[in-house]
Amino acid sequence: MIASSWDIRHVELSGERPEVAANPRPLFVVFWWRALPLGIRTYLPEQLPLDSGELAALTAELAATQLAARAPQFGGPARATIDGRPLIAVPLGAIAEDRGLLNQLDRLADDSAISVTELSVIVCTRDRPDALERCLASLVAQENPPGQIIVVDNSKGRTAEAVTAQVAGVEYVHEPRPGLSVARNAGIRASRGALIAFTDDDVEVASSWTAEIARALSSAGVEAVTGLVLPARLATPAQCFFQFRMGGLGSECVPIIFDGRFFAETCPMGAQVWRIGAGANMAFRRSLFDRIGLFDERLGAGASGCSEDSELWYRLLAGGGACLYEPRACVTHHHREEWDALRRQVRAYMKGHVSALFVQAARFRHYGNIRRAFRQLPGYFVRTAFRAVRDGGGIPRLQILWDEFVGWLCGLHYAIRPRWHDRSGSPSRIGPVGASTSESRP
Amino acid sequence: MAYRIVEVELSETLAPFTLGPHQDGFALLARWKGRLAGFYMAGATPGSSISTEELAALCVKRFGRRALALEVETALLERWSRGREMTPPSLTIAICTKDRAQRLARLLDSLKLVKETSRFLSTEILVVDNASVDSATRDAVAGFEGAQYVFEPRAGLDFARNAALRHATGDLLAFLDDDVVVDQHWLDGLFAAWAGCPDAGGFTGLVLPYRLDTAAQIQFELRGGFGRGFEPKRFHATSADNPLHPVGAGIVGAGCNMAFDRSLLVSLGGFDEALDTGAPLPGGGDLDIFYRVLRSGRTIAYEPRYAVYHEHRETMPQLRRQYWSWGLGFMAFLTKSRRDDPALKNKQDAILRWWLLDKFGDLAAAGCRFRLQELGFLMAELWGGLVGMAGEYDRSLKRVQKIRGRTS
Repeated sequence: MIASSWDIRHVELSGERPEVAANPRPLFVVFWWRALPLGIRTYLPEQLPLDSGELAALTAELAATQLAARAPQFGGPARATIDGRPLIAVPLGAIAEDRGLLNQLDRLADDSAISVTELSVIVCTRDRPDALERCLASLVAQENPPGQIIVVDNSKGRTAEAVTAQVAGVEYVHEPRPGLSVARNAGIRASRGALIAFTDDDVEVASSWTAEIARALSSAGVEAVTGLVLPARLATPAQCFFQFRMGGLGSECVPIIFDGRFFAETCPMGAQVWRIGAGANMAFRRSLFDRIGLFDERLGAGASGCSEDSELWYRLLAGGGACLYEPRACVTHHHREEWDALRRQVRAYMKGHVSALFVQAARFRHYGNIRRAFRQLPGYFVRTAFRAVRDGGGIPRLQILWDEFVGWLCGLHYAIRPRWHDRSGSPSRIGPVGASTSESRP
Repeated sequence: MAYRIVEVELSETLAPFTLGPHQDGFALLARWKGRLAGFYMAGATPGSSISTEELAALCVKRFGRRALALEVETALLERWSRGREMTPPSLTIAICTKDRAQRLARLLDSLKLVKETSRFLSTEILVVDNASVDSATRDAVAGFEGAQYVFEPRAGLDFARNAALRHATGDLLAFLDDDVVVDQHWLDGLFAAWAGCPDAGGFTGLVLPYRLDTAAQIQFELRGGFGRGFEPKRFHATSADNPLHPVGAGIVGAGCNMAFDRSLLVSLGGFDEALDTGAPLPGGGDLDIFYRVLRSGRTIAYEPRYAVYHEHRETMPQLRRQYWSWGLGFMAFLTKSRRDDPALKNKQDAILRWWLLDKFGDLAAAGCRFRLQELGFLMAELWGGLVGMAGEYDRSLKRVQKIRGRTS
């Protein structure tokens, strides 16, 4: 059984004498090469400290993967294959010619010095003023302050207003109509920048986050960016289960391009757009919304449950666009602490996911989405149940599996509700600034 | 059925090759500047040629990233400040053999080359003749300069290993089976493993196929063989990634190529002579010693450079018997550790459940697809496991007691 409480440690590997020292408790280690996240490993106390041979082999492995995925002569950035894994094939000639591999990695790890005045950051929040306060503190502490920070308060009682007023330079928008998509769309309407980044109220962003988002969005042909979401704490069984058994919100540390090929490869079983990233750390060019529309207001927390983000990526990829996953745009997410809260979240995730499958199937006539809903997901339930029994310690896993199953049923029910399909899903374009129904306060 | 094994040096120009009329596939063994970087098998039409372009594409896809990692590791070790230089340990290489003088001679020949460049304080070779019926083994050792000969009259691999333990003088004691040949960098690999992890209690290494000339040898390798990969690994008393560790000790390595801190082996009381007893119970001894080393709190380091080539079983009946012995040996080992180490009862129960469900699951999958050969392997392993569960360890204890009585 997985330990139910982990310490989190960040280890810098670019120096002359790196080490991973002993720890009395299980340790979740994030390895860095200056600003580049290299990889994540977990260790029990008996596995520490790492000896020099193990650390050398591990560093070489992580650094080589990073070089292969980023350096132009090795073909980087990697393109996503099926399952969202990066396809990395290193030309042998390029290795032999290169003399300064580590210097090159040093250069790749340089901070972004790009201007971020064109960036609007949107934080949607509902009834979590304490979490929001932490989030805003991390945003105003950015090395490169963004041009605009907008808080969209999705609560009935304007619970975020007081917290927002305390932070200078943050704009407040009240959007009383429930639904994360509605709130995100209200934020887009209130924004002025050509680049729009989203994060959630239960997130703290790294100090270079805005600069890295802007740099990633400046890459050729990239209209959407997602980034790495690390756990802020792994202190309760619910947080550990979410991180280790459900994969958390991703842990991949190399940049990956999700493009038309990835979409075409995975489309027959429902394009795996959820692998692209998380709504807690995503950004878009404003022009994208003019082209493919806003978030679908039938989806997302407060409506179907979630997947408003992945449905937008679906539209982007189906139209031939590409999304860049750039892990150095890094944020930390506070996972749900309570087991019951996790169970509710899992239900909402699955319900939202299934609803999104039907939205995508109806919009594009891509029947892979239907195959996923009725063939792949039930198969996943059966396999997971078998593994939970075979591998032992399966009661929590079976509990969560039950919630996923209930979420699946709810998703089916949600999607076949009368008139659901006729409702105007996503507003087709942004419209003039300030013409929204929500009230703004500069 | 035969596969041609082709060694490719990735840092040099790749040469095309042609398969013989009876070769229906090939296996690439890749090196980057001499260091082993990968192994890949593929079927092909007999007599066909693999052009430079095809070979290059294959190498880029299969070995490119690993080659880059090896190059980065070299650069890293230059950048990192070195720790203090340590006095290297002395080494005893022990070869346990029975009635296989030819193969023993082949192994000794391969050792002759690597021994010359040994960086260990001293390197001795000890051949333990495990009750061979004739003098061919003794003659083979006599023809090889610098090898010591020890006769162990009690038949059984772990009797022989314990004899080696009694006669060895090195700080480290490396074991080799007589059906392997060592790689040119085998000894450097063991030294590198020690230098990277000097406190380790044990070391294991890569086991590659010596030849792939029969269907059984190819099948064995395709089903995973002894391969543990081309990246160094560490094994400890627990693992964050594997909740059943260290009860599933088979992932640590294989008994045909392993080394230990000799003083640790002595303090653990050596090998269990009721395991690896030859014909009735040909397995489990390596699992047992890996398990006990890990449970003592010491690390086992796996190093791919510490590589040997193993002569796999030639015929299908022999291969099925090998899988049978895996099941039997694993269950005998599990019986023993359940008895001696009740602290890990939960993990031992869990791995028993896991093993049975896994094997029955595989059996069902193979049955559904009418894969008869696969069914045969799985049934052999499962049958061995069931026999092992049904008191094989106790029967072996009695047999071993009788052998001890006869010779004392």
